[in-house]
Amino acid sequence: MELVEGVLEFLANNIFGEVAILIGIITLVGLILQRTPVEETVAGTLRAVIGVLILFIGVDVFTEGLSSFQAIVSSAVGLEPPQADNTLGDFLGTHGGSVALVIALGFLVHLILVRLFNTRYVYLTGHLLFWIAVVTVASIVEIFGDLGQWTIVGAASLVVAAYWTLQPLVLAPMMRKVTGSDDFGFAHTSALAAYLGGKIGGKAGSYEQHDTEGVRLPQRLSFFKDVNVSTALVIGVIILVAMVFAEVDVAQEQAAAYDEDLNRWVWGLIAGLRFAAGIAILLYGVRMFLAEIVPAFKGISEKVIPGSRPALDAPAVFPFAPTAVMLGFISATAVFLVLMGVFAAIGWFVLVPPMIMLFFPGAAAGVFGNAFGGWRGAVIGGGINGLFLAFGQAISWGYLSDTAPELATLADPDWYLIMVLVMGIGALGALLGEMGVWLVPVVLLVVFVVWTMMAKRVGAEPEAEPLSGDSPFDAPDVSRAVRRDGHGDGAQDDDQGDERSER
Amino acid sequence: MSASDEPLRILSVCGVGMGSSLMLRMNVEEVLKRLGVRARVEATDVSSARSMQADVIVGQGLHTGELQGLAPVVVTITNFMDKDALQRQLEEALHEQGWL
Repeated sequence: MELVEGVLEFLANNIFGEVAILIGIITLVGLILQRTPVEETVAGTLRAVIGVLILFIGVDVFTEGLSSFQAIVSSAVGLEPPQADNTLGDFLGTHGGSVALVIALGFLVHLILVRLFNTRYVYLTGHLLFWIAVVTVASIVEIFGDLGQWTIVGAASLVVAAYWTLQPLVLAPMMRKVTGSDDFGFAHTSALAAYLGGKIGGKAGSYEQHDTEGVRLPQRLSFFKDVNVSTALVIGVIILVAMVFAEVDVAQEQAAAYDEDLNRWVWGLIAGLRFAAGIAILLYGVRMFLAEIVPAFKGISEKVIPGSRPALDAPAVFPFAPTAVMLGFISATAVFLVLMGVFAAIGWFVLVPPMIMLFFPGAAAGVFGNAFGGWRGAVIGGGINGLFLAFGQAISWGYLSDTAPELATLADPDWYLIMVLVMGIGALGALLGEMGVWLVPVVLLVVFVVWTMMAKRVGAEPEAEPLSGDSPFDAPDVSRAVRRDGHGDGAQDDDQGDERSER
Repeated sequence: MSASDEPLRILSVCGVGMGSSLMLRMNVEEVLKRLGVRARVEATDVSSARSMQADVIVGQGLHTGELQGLAPVVVTITNFMDKDALQRQLEEALHEQGWL
């Protein structure tokens, strides 16, 4: 018996507790299921594991940059920097294994739900498979502490599966208006802002009268689309300005911790750039393991659910209204920066501008807003995203302080919704003791089933004319003549082998 | 480039290099298989794409505008799931270069 226990304990500590090893195993299984050649299977598995390790390094660099930023800006406005008892890096160290298992199990449950309820859309936005799993596990651990790993994994898998299945379904009628077809669904955690942007935007204007494509933006704004550049610039400028007002001691201390001999102004510049560098490293790591895992997930879903449609990342809607993309982003950033000033002035919280989250969800909400309310809708959609990000970050930081507070600064609108739902229902469930954790998935699955039934009864909304869009920056658009009809069911793609020609 | 036994080096590009560019990569791979073209396709972000040698860059208009000239062929797509349009665009461009 001792031997068995020893083996189980070894597995728990070294396999199921180690996110890098687990992601490696999941990738390996995926590649084998796809019958990838041996050398590619080995290479792909190694790339995935290295990707996870790079992600950890990125998180460390990012977290350092984040705390420098918070220390300086807090000092400048005379507040205490936001406090935390744990970090994202430590959280992934202790609960990363659960996160990896939630991705795999949650995706399987998602496929079962899609198949059972015939909802069609398969969630293929890989980085959000990862981050939603992180947010859900963190929210459960915040309320219930360390339940057994399998309890956490079981409950969290059901929660993420309900979200991944329901979110594209809720947005589907609006997507038909945005893209003018039903080729693919929308799978991004900006859904809440996009939904409200469309609904509220539609009241403020109309697409026919106020289409964003009549608006021209200055060419010079276009470099902001590179998130590395926009993050470095915005964070760097704010740090340097804040240093003028910050206590010299605070800046000196931070600078000395980095390099004894460095001038504190040069340190400020480097701190801003390191923040951007950390995010770039973090994203590079995530990209590396996703590139191996997502194709396997896609392959499995196509086998298990014939006729399913992919639900895709936010940029898939950007080509339908490129000017709305920039309007949404600018509007979100403006609202956020104003609120950053307001929150500091009233002494509530020192916000960190999350440029990536201002860009992608802001842009998506802008595109949805434009589809229903023209440029007014785009501005409103982006603004709604700015509101969510500002209030979300300020409120959720404290609630995440025992697990991964940095998530508050990396979140899209839906992340906050998931935190509210999981922690809210979880707090009620906690009154029943540890078993109460199951209340969370039960409630969410009931919501899911009811919504799905209602969506079926209402039926599909009629298809709309596609929006068309030129790039706002006069980029050559060679693809206006794209045909958008007649290939919805995805079954005929393999019958074109006879067109093959030799290179 | 172009000893004809070397696979083509293709980049699919999006803002961060994780989501839509990965979808695009899988579609490009599928289309090239139909066309019988051997290629290594990699998904990446706009910043990194600048430092990577490639024969073909594929992305949406938001990004391809500033990537012109970084590769002999730059293909701009509108609908991420329209594989037929992607196939036509790639076929035409590869013919032009004499790679097909």
